[in-house]
Amino acid sequence: MSQAIAADITVQVGATDAPFELHAKLSLDDGVLVLFGPSGSGKSLTLQCIVGVVRPKGGRIIVRDRVLFDADDGTRVPPHQRNIGYVPQHHSLFPFCNVRDNVAFGLPRAERARSTIVEQLIEELGIAHLRKAMPASLSGGERQRVALARALAVRPKLLVLDEPFASIDVTGRGDLRTIVRETLKRHGMPALFVTHDPTEAREMGDWTVLFERGRTTDEGRPHELLS
Amino acid sequence: MIGALCEDSWFPVCLSVQVATAALLIFAPLGVLLAWLQATRRYRGRALVDALIMLPMVLPPSVVGFFLVVVLGRRGALGQLLEENFGLRIIFSPAGAVLAASIVALPLLVKTAQPSLEAVPRELLDVGRSLGLGPVSLLFRVTLRWAWRGVLMGLVLAYVRAMGEFGATLMFAGNIPGQTNTMPLEIFAAYQAGEDDRALLYVVVLTLISTATVLVAAYFAPRPERR
Repeated sequence: MSQAIAADITVQVGATDAPFELHAKLSLDDGVLVLFGPSGSGKSLTLQCIVGVVRPKGGRIIVRDRVLFDADDGTRVPPHQRNIGYVPQHHSLFPFCNVRDNVAFGLPRAERARSTIVEQLIEELGIAHLRKAMPASLSGGERQRVALARALAVRPKLLVLDEPFASIDVTGRGDLRTIVRETLKRHGMPALFVTHDPTEAREMGDWTVLFERGRTTDEGRPHELLS
Repeated sequence: MIGALCEDSWFPVCLSVQVATAALLIFAPLGVLLAWLQATRRYRGRALVDALIMLPMVLPPSVVGFFLVVVLGRRGALGQLLEENFGLRIIFSPAGAVLAASIVALPLLVKTAQPSLEAVPRELLDVGRSLGLGPVSLLFRVTLRWAWRGVLMGLVLAYVRAMGEFGATLMFAGNIPGQTNTMPLEIFAAYQAGEDDRALLYVVVLTLISTATVLVAAYFAPRPERR
């Protein structure tokens, strides 16, 4: 099977007199790749380039043999055509839709009302009792489960999760990690997972890339690298 | 029935509603598009466009009316072109009143709607893009559903501003009884003629409409950010 992702990018953002420069190199065949490092080291910026909402200055991004970005030949697939699922830390749900409509949001109009995948994901992620609830009434953990279901419903080629548990209380994080990890495994979904929490990195990742001051400095198995 | 109601003293009331409604059809799509453009895009000349949008708000209405006469009057370049090629004469016609009202109301819509459109969380838009929404779908399915209160408030305020337009309308459409004598013009004409009772009728109608509008706008005013 082809690689889930191979990316080697340089990015320059911020003020022109003192820009933040990022050079990130990562690849993943299968499973979960954790992007680990302190805040401001370039992890989320790397994800934004992969999702397509930030334009790198140079390099290439390839997902499942499809070139999404190539600075040399000018290829730049717009974000809505990349088929990459995205679960952000904040503002993850559409506040004007109930849980079910959030999960079905990315499906074609004809499929939204009677999609089996939506019902299946709602059951799998334990949010069936919240089907009609509005996002404002959900806990942080429930929101992120809905966000994960919604991202998976469109059957993406790759999933990216940007510190999805950061705003969830410590007691709820453990259960959620297990649920997310098992769901990704069950769906055979390769994922990039951003965190600065070593426990989370060890529990979620099959492989880890270390970020420091805008550079990917090391990589390896999370238990070895972050022991 | 409606025709009978709109005769004599009630003609200016009906005409004002018709002019403001026709103006709404012009400034609503244009204003929402401009507000969205100014809120979401950074492009060369953005500050100039912003200044041009604001101009009818800060210029005396008589100056706006004068510009309209210069451009679209019988001796104006565009006015001559329309009259000679299409037989269209906008100056001193109800269409002139609609155009004057649209131009004066437009900045109020743009400047009221723009902050709400700017407040749409970036993450939510990125999620929408990752779910396959192109720019137009994103505008209608995410941006406007999030920011509808601010946009609606802008539309309501601009509608009333269009209905109350005086200076530019007088300069460009004139005060022709049975054709362009909207309520504000009629108030002025009645007061000049010493017919205070007649002026009072339109004063009361305009005050009632404006008060109701301010109350509606307050009800729909943007509320604190939801997650």
